[in-house]
Amino acid sequence: MSEDPQPKGLSAPQMSNFASVLDVLIPASEDGALPAAGEIGLGETICQRAEELLPVLAPALEALAARVAASKAEDFASISEAEKRPMLEAVAAEHPAFLPALLFQTFSNYYQHPRVLEGLGLEARPPHPLGYELETGDLDLLEPVRRRGALYRDC
Amino acid sequence: MPARDDSRVRPPGAREQQDQADCRVPSLNSEEAVDVVIVGAGAAGAALAWSLSETRMKIVCLEQGGWMNPAEYPSTRGDWELRGFGDFALSPNSRGRPEDYPVNDSESPITISNFNAVGGSTVIYAAHFPRLHPSDFRTRTLDGVGDDWPLDYATLEPYYDENARMMGVAGLAGDPAYPPKEVPLPPVPLGKLGETLARGFNQLGWHWWPSDSAIATVEHGGRAPCVNLGPCLSGCAQGAKGSTDVTYWPAAIRRGVEVRTHCRVREISVDENDMAEGVIYYDAEGVERRLRAEVVVLACNGVGTPRLMLNSRSRNFPEGIANRSGLVGRNLMFHPYGMVQGVFDEALDGYKGPMGCCIMSQEFYETDATRGFVRGYSFEITRGMGAVGTALSGMSNGSLPWGADHHRVYADFFNRTTGMVVIGEDLPEASNRVTLDPDLCDANGIPAPKIHYRLSENSEKMLAHAVARGREVLEAAGARETSAQAPLPFAGWHLMGTARMGTDPERSVVNEWGRSHDVRNLFVVDGSIFVTSGAVNPTNTIQALALFVADQMKARLANLFD
Repeated sequence: MSEDPQPKGLSAPQMSNFASVLDVLIPASEDGALPAAGEIGLGETICQRAEELLPVLAPALEALAARVAASKAEDFASISEAEKRPMLEAVAAEHPAFLPALLFQTFSNYYQHPRVLEGLGLEARPPHPLGYELETGDLDLLEPVRRRGALYRDC
Repeated sequence: MPARDDSRVRPPGAREQQDQADCRVPSLNSEEAVDVVIVGAGAAGAALAWSLSETRMKIVCLEQGGWMNPAEYPSTRGDWELRGFGDFALSPNSRGRPEDYPVNDSESPITISNFNAVGGSTVIYAAHFPRLHPSDFRTRTLDGVGDDWPLDYATLEPYYDENARMMGVAGLAGDPAYPPKEVPLPPVPLGKLGETLARGFNQLGWHWWPSDSAIATVEHGGRAPCVNLGPCLSGCAQGAKGSTDVTYWPAAIRRGVEVRTHCRVREISVDENDMAEGVIYYDAEGVERRLRAEVVVLACNGVGTPRLMLNSRSRNFPEGIANRSGLVGRNLMFHPYGMVQGVFDEALDGYKGPMGCCIMSQEFYETDATRGFVRGYSFEITRGMGAVGTALSGMSNGSLPWGADHHRVYADFFNRTTGMVVIGEDLPEASNRVTLDPDLCDANGIPAPKIHYRLSENSEKMLAHAVARGREVLEAAGARETSAQAPLPFAGWHLMGTARMGTDPERSVVNEWGRSHDVRNLFVVDGSIFVTSGAVNPTNTIQALALFVADQMKARLANLFD
């Protein structure tokens, strides 16, 4: 996914926490068909494609790291599952722009990832040039419409 | 103010500097001269240029955008959905391409959508291609609102037919909502989605019909057939959609018309005898140039045309060229849109197929006084969204959570959500208007248009009625839940009425064949000349009018300015 192994703007510990945050936002599906967002390298992707997010993201991740440290955990990944969401919501409350901006990038990049598209049962390709087959449909359904006759005002 | 970042604010004193510069403008006599200059290479400019080209006059079209490369359209890449928020955004303020001009639409609940390129907004339109109804030309006589047009459906009928052949219209003859009409190509596929909704309309006994679509469903005029890519609103990489860069323009250019791209017109100059001399424009390098023309034709859409006219001030026309009526920029009409969506239990394959073209209902098109409003609306069934669109839509309306429930909720929506847009007739009101922004400018320092618009009480009642009926039909079709939004804030893509046509110079800007009342060699052919809006997408009528005006010009070449 990532073309540049050196994402800009975030430190290695921040990147690690960022991936864990993404896993909370979109975890893997129960049946395993759909991967977690961090698992497919979305953190690197977002840092590269949305540099404008970094001024919002970096302070929020700093605040998250402070909360992780206060809880004596090693990193966000090692926090219990039950505690992750409340901690993330607390950070989001302190940094109102953080979650909406991150969700936009997370959702939009996650749902164009080939593994996700395949997990949804779609072909992992752009629409062009192959396009799609589409049923013509049953035009006999128009019969009752035809029977009603003209609807327009003739003037 | 949602202006894009690179829009420019005119520095203090710039107006005065511009006025001084205007005084230094040399006579256009020494400049390049052509027979006809057309400003704008979109739907109308292309149709008019093609029609006039048979005269072998020297015709030049100035377009502020460039030629698009279909190989670079979003549907050719994996990030195709996201680009609809970026370089293919509907709003020029969000898109911010160098060829775009900013629009101050902060005083309108509906924002402007357009595209600047050869092909104009047809590059990003849905290609839904209905005609107006006969009653649309007689709203004053029939319903006591708006004004009657100075021409009627029968007058435009042959031009609609000609346009259908040139643009390649797909559909099905026999629609009882219209007089009999030509439909050259077979309809776009209904798909599971269209059939599902059609059954809903049938259950309620309401009209529906396969949409007239400017989409080549079979090979047509050298265009490859539609392969159901989906994202028509970000350009058609297949070339099946009838945008004028692949329909009229190649034919017009073969017949000698010249299209000059990246040329932005600042003003139309006028002589002491109230005749247009030509235009002053900036070329691709930003160099000011002048082009003298016997005839000037404006085809810049319902916002761009009044902007240019209002910016063309002179001693004889201090309020803008051809504006003695004071109506240039007034009577701006959108179509107030609503959107009604339903979630179904079964997969509908909604991400496949032309996203704006499927079936249409005109059950509530004509006036019925018992509904509490005059005139009416159309339902246009839209396809569903792709994977990204589904997620972002769920995020913006708050229905798609993050966290443990994310996948369960997403699976409920994806490929199971569809619905319709409502297109309501917008009645002309003088207070809805385009003016020049006193501060905001484009990259060449030309004042940006400012939109002043409010939704009428009639429109609000119409939208409420339409949303309720939309929910009914979705439920009849099997939707387990419905949602609605009206008006749609981003749906200002139909721009009409701001240089209206008519026989009375005090109540209209151009006459019954598109010529300015005040300047006898100045013509307008875009949506600006609409008298009323009808309740359908306007492009087919815009082009039929352009072909009609071109025929009127050709028939009067010997005495065009009398």
